[in-house]
Amino acid sequence: MIQREVVVVAEHMAGELSDITLEMLAGAHELARSVGWHLTCLILADDPKPFEALPLAADKVVVIKDSSLGAPNPAAYARVLPHILKDLSARLVFLGNTSIGVDLAGPLSYALGAPAISGCVGIRAEGDRIVVTSRICGGKLVAQTEQGEGLAIVLVMPGSFHRELGMRDEVPPLEVRPVPTALDSLPVRFVELIEPKMEAVDVRKIPILVGIGRGVQSKDNLPSLEILAKELGGALCATRPVVDQGWLPRTRQVGRSGMTVKPRLYLALGVSGAPEHTEGMKESGLIVAVNKDPEAPIFDIAHYGATVDVLELVPILTEKIKEAKGSQ
Amino acid sequence: MKIAVILRQVPDVVEELVIAEDGRSLAEDEVMDITNEADEHALEEALILKARHAATVTAVGVGGNEAKDALAAAVAKGADDAIFVPIPFKHRGDNVRLASVLSPAMKSGGYDLILTGIWAADQLDAGLAGLLSMRLSIPYVGGVTSISLEPDGTKGIVRKEFPGGRLGVMETSLPAVYGIQSAEQPPRYVPVSRVVQAKRTLRVKEQSEPPEVVVGMRAAKLIKSSSAAKAEMLPGDATQVAEQLVRILRERGIA
Repeated sequence: MIQREVVVVAEHMAGELSDITLEMLAGAHELARSVGWHLTCLILADDPKPFEALPLAADKVVVIKDSSLGAPNPAAYARVLPHILKDLSARLVFLGNTSIGVDLAGPLSYALGAPAISGCVGIRAEGDRIVVTSRICGGKLVAQTEQGEGLAIVLVMPGSFHRELGMRDEVPPLEVRPVPTALDSLPVRFVELIEPKMEAVDVRKIPILVGIGRGVQSKDNLPSLEILAKELGGALCATRPVVDQGWLPRTRQVGRSGMTVKPRLYLALGVSGAPEHTEGMKESGLIVAVNKDPEAPIFDIAHYGATVDVLELVPILTEKIKEAKGSQ
Repeated sequence: MKIAVILRQVPDVVEELVIAEDGRSLAEDEVMDITNEADEHALEEALILKARHAATVTAVGVGGNEAKDALAAAVAKGADDAIFVPIPFKHRGDNVRLASVLSPAMKSGGYDLILTGIWAADQLDAGLAGLLSMRLSIPYVGGVTSISLEPDGTKGIVRKEFPGGRLGVMETSLPAVYGIQSAEQPPRYVPVSRVVQAKRTLRVKEQSEPPEVVVGMRAAKLIKSSSAAKAEMLPGDATQVAEQLVRILRERGIA
């Protein structure tokens, strides 16, 4: 029997593997173990040192080392990866469904003639086929795609696998390789990385968050929501569309390319529950969601839900909380 | 400076989504189409660049006939011309196929910049912008939130989002394809009356090149995810819900 190869393309920043890398390893390891395939964790970096001696759930770690690979430059990655993946005889490639992985999906799909299935939340082998489940249409639908023979690329949604399972007790062998092709005259130049400027409110440290989505309808409704958050002893945060509208600063954005939060209470008001948002808050202690749409995917992860009008509920809830505090 | 913006028609996920009898696609008659949200941001960014650099903006509508309404709206907002690229309903969300259908028009248009959303609501495979860049052999960056262009039109400098609120600044030569995450400002609003007016005078060039045959992508099965709902739903009107919520929060020592 030919040994099949699963390759996880690691994401890292400032010398640290990102959570999505461990989550991908968790999913890939489970799949590889179930069908007896070999698993390689592939790291493109300028320095292999931070990645030595990591107990990753892989059979092997391969680091491709080059001074151009310090920052995630999509052009550098896209030039190197097809060579390496062919060399490793990859049958299945895991990328993060992140701003880094999505940049590689198109170029790799084209260069390798392989489908790049997005939004993967689950993967399993059925005979010779790989069955991938993905969330589409804002999380309202689950699509199942099947891949037969040939290389397939899957983009794994953050939060789909337990990152703890991406580690194990022993350190796999590590091999450092040079780049297989020259990385000069790249069409994209990485100029600089800008760290987020934190405002006084750091939503990652606040135990009670009122998360608002498009269902709050207008910026004019923000003051009453602020009052509710204050009564609860917390702060407002938001989904991407709300931040894109300029209603709240970028530092209050929760989800992909925003903050990941784990408050004691996450009160989601007018939030539909698109995976891009829920991946940043689904580990919250208690999730309460209010949305008029009974099919909103936020109810899949909420502990409690209600389908009443958010704008009608907010002033009543604020008053009831005030009363409750007064009676204590 | 010539800019093209790709505007895909996708199902409005706020509406109820009905799965067709084949169990692997949406019921076409039941779908309410809208322009893909990230593509709306791409149009906005193109219009911002038009104001800064005296560029021309070509809106490229992808989908069924309703894409023509999106093109009228784009022209009402400030796009200079419109191309309609018809795509059968069953092939929407298949970016490999979209890239193959779109690339002849993108190639012959001689654009300095091609913008489209980094994702589409109905996509099964990732990376329309990246696929197009490969077909056109020009640079690509995705997850872009702002663009500045060198006055001589040879370079673009973009800000790209990374997880955790970080931003990367990247420079590319032009022409290039950028996958837009969000525009520098919210997509502009245009009154319906102006869209209706634009529709009356709209001159759409329809792409006639036959697409090459590609191995596309289709779902084997489509399932409504709400069947997995686990929240305990609180019954009653707003007052009753508020009372139950306060009780739950007090029980947990939160309020």
